[in-house]
Amino acid sequence: MTALAATQTGADSSLVVAPMLVVLVTAVATLLLGRRPRTRAAVSLGGGVAYAVAVAAIDWFVVLAPDAPGIATYQVGDWPAPFGITLVADGLSAFMLTMVAVLGVSSLVFSTRHLPGGDGRSYYFPLFHFLALGVTGAFLTGDLFNLFVWFEVMLMASYVFVAYSGGAEHTRAAFWYVTLNLLASAVFLLGVGGIYASTGTLNMADLAQRLAEPAAYGLDPVPVVGLLGLLLSVFAIKAGLVPFQFWIPTAYRAAPPQIAALLAGATKKVGIYAIIRLSFTVFAGSEVAVDLGVPGTELAVDSPLSFVGAALFLMAGASILVGGIGAVGRDSLEGVFAYSSIGQVGFIAIPVAVAATTTSPELRQLGVVAALVYALNHTLAKGLLFLAVGTIRSATGSSRFDDLGGLAKRSPPMAIAVFVASLALVGIPPLSGFFGKFLVFDAAARSASAGPVIALLLVGSVLTIAYATRTWNLSFWGAQTPAVESAAIDRVQVAVLIVLATAIVAVGVGFEPVYEFASTAAEAALDTEGYVDAVDPTDASEVADSGASGGDHA
Amino acid sequence: MTAIVLAATIGALFALGTFLLLRRDLIRVVWGLAIISQAANLYLLVMGGIAPATADSVPVLAGHGDHVPKTADPVVQALVLTAIVIGFGMTAFALVLSYRVYEEHDTLDVTKLGDRE
Repeated sequence: MTALAATQTGADSSLVVAPMLVVLVTAVATLLLGRRPRTRAAVSLGGGVAYAVAVAAIDWFVVLAPDAPGIATYQVGDWPAPFGITLVADGLSAFMLTMVAVLGVSSLVFSTRHLPGGDGRSYYFPLFHFLALGVTGAFLTGDLFNLFVWFEVMLMASYVFVAYSGGAEHTRAAFWYVTLNLLASAVFLLGVGGIYASTGTLNMADLAQRLAEPAAYGLDPVPVVGLLGLLLSVFAIKAGLVPFQFWIPTAYRAAPPQIAALLAGATKKVGIYAIIRLSFTVFAGSEVAVDLGVPGTELAVDSPLSFVGAALFLMAGASILVGGIGAVGRDSLEGVFAYSSIGQVGFIAIPVAVAATTTSPELRQLGVVAALVYALNHTLAKGLLFLAVGTIRSATGSSRFDDLGGLAKRSPPMAIAVFVASLALVGIPPLSGFFGKFLVFDAAARSASAGPVIALLLVGSVLTIAYATRTWNLSFWGAQTPAVESAAIDRVQVAVLIVLATAIVAVGVGFEPVYEFASTAAEAALDTEGYVDAVDPTDASEVADSGASGGDHA
Repeated sequence: MTAIVLAATIGALFALGTFLLLRRDLIRVVWGLAIISQAANLYLLVMGGIAPATADSVPVLAGHGDHVPKTADPVVQALVLTAIVIGFGMTAFALVLSYRVYEEHDTLDVTKLGDRE
């Protein structure tokens, strides 16, 4: 027992828990400071910055530094995997955490200037940090059941935020959102239970190891494909892929805009992350004959991945169409951006589907890189746009196109920032969106079914141009309405928008390091062996063979 | 025999939960959610194996060689305990929320809450 426990120590492994500890301490501290609005906001912001520093430390010391190990694990309480709780930080987790840190700090700075509902809402900041805690935990956990638990932590905070504004409409939206997600949680449990029953483990590394050699462990991997389908539907709900998109417009409209930015930029990415992690790191190694007979998709019939790929193609394609068409007809800023969010997640899922259906390792890597770069672009651009909605709403009291107009003249810096984000969504060089779109098209062009997929992506891009132009014309150009004329636009909030717009330009102009980070992340996602080696799950039968006394680990 | 009874029970619970979820009354919807999550918990518990524990039936005991303790799988029990606690919290929240819906709309009838858009 002690010999097993002594293997996981060192600076790298304690770095893995750092962001979670920082965000947990901040959440509790802001909870205790509920009655002192100024201190609370300051502590909250300090915690956000500390979180970003912790994530940057993981990025550098674990992933990007010249002699970095590439992956670090933390075994909670020194219980060896697969008996204890394992936290794993690798390139993929680090890339996702970085997106959350950038968006989270922006949203926090924004929130310290204007709290929806006023300073009396003492639970705003604690909930904000609990939401971040859930997202962080989901990215770092190496265990399927803990993934469920962190999902619940994240959802619990988001439920309250959807009901936050307190109007009749918001309460109703929150009720639908809660109902849907509780149902999804039950389905998640079914998937987790089934996988435990058929494989005997929930640790992702152990699972990958067992599924790669089912015969050695006496497993039948066939049920796992169906259970993976259950889990995929749960993650698709979180990511908002069609046909699970219907909750998004109401929930995003009901939540405060700076939280909607986080829902679109961070919690949605948890769904994408879970799909990538489970499909490529955990289930890629298993060999099951699957023949769905879907025409036009290249079916590598020896892996659950082909099933995931075929399902993702359908869901992503429908998302691009539903989101794009839905966004064109909305009558408010949030409405457009919420539907746009459904369409954009389709653009993220298409390259994942390409990566899942191909047999070529290069194309698989390219697909995951494309998905990650596009996800980064979406986080920055959509985060900025939702924060801009917040700025506009706190200044004019409305975000309906009927009440807006001529915003460009009222606040040119804000207009420029929104313009940059809109162009990034459309994919104009040299912004981050250009490389995102370029890589997605590149991956699609090399896939087996290039023709229809590219046609679909083109339609999606044209729809993006249509709704971005319409939004711009209706709210930023034209005659100023009385609400816009009398608006007092907060400078700090606009400064946050400018910083994010600069980040979008910077990612596009200095794309080389971002691309390298994304490639490292994609390599980590595809490197099942490295993941298993780092987590090093003790084989249950080896423990017995080495004569360790029986009951200790249970 | 036990397996069939448990399977039928879980199936019946899911059916009942789904039926309640589709009702018009919000409180029944919350009941439906609670029952479905209990059914999922029961299912999770059963997944640990329902026969007396042996190395073949209980995954985590596979490593214990000959010293198989006479207990069922402890892992699923820990999992279910966590899931139950989370489920309680969520049900409480859903109940509070339906009370708020009642306060604001003066009705618990789903069809009278208006369009979802």
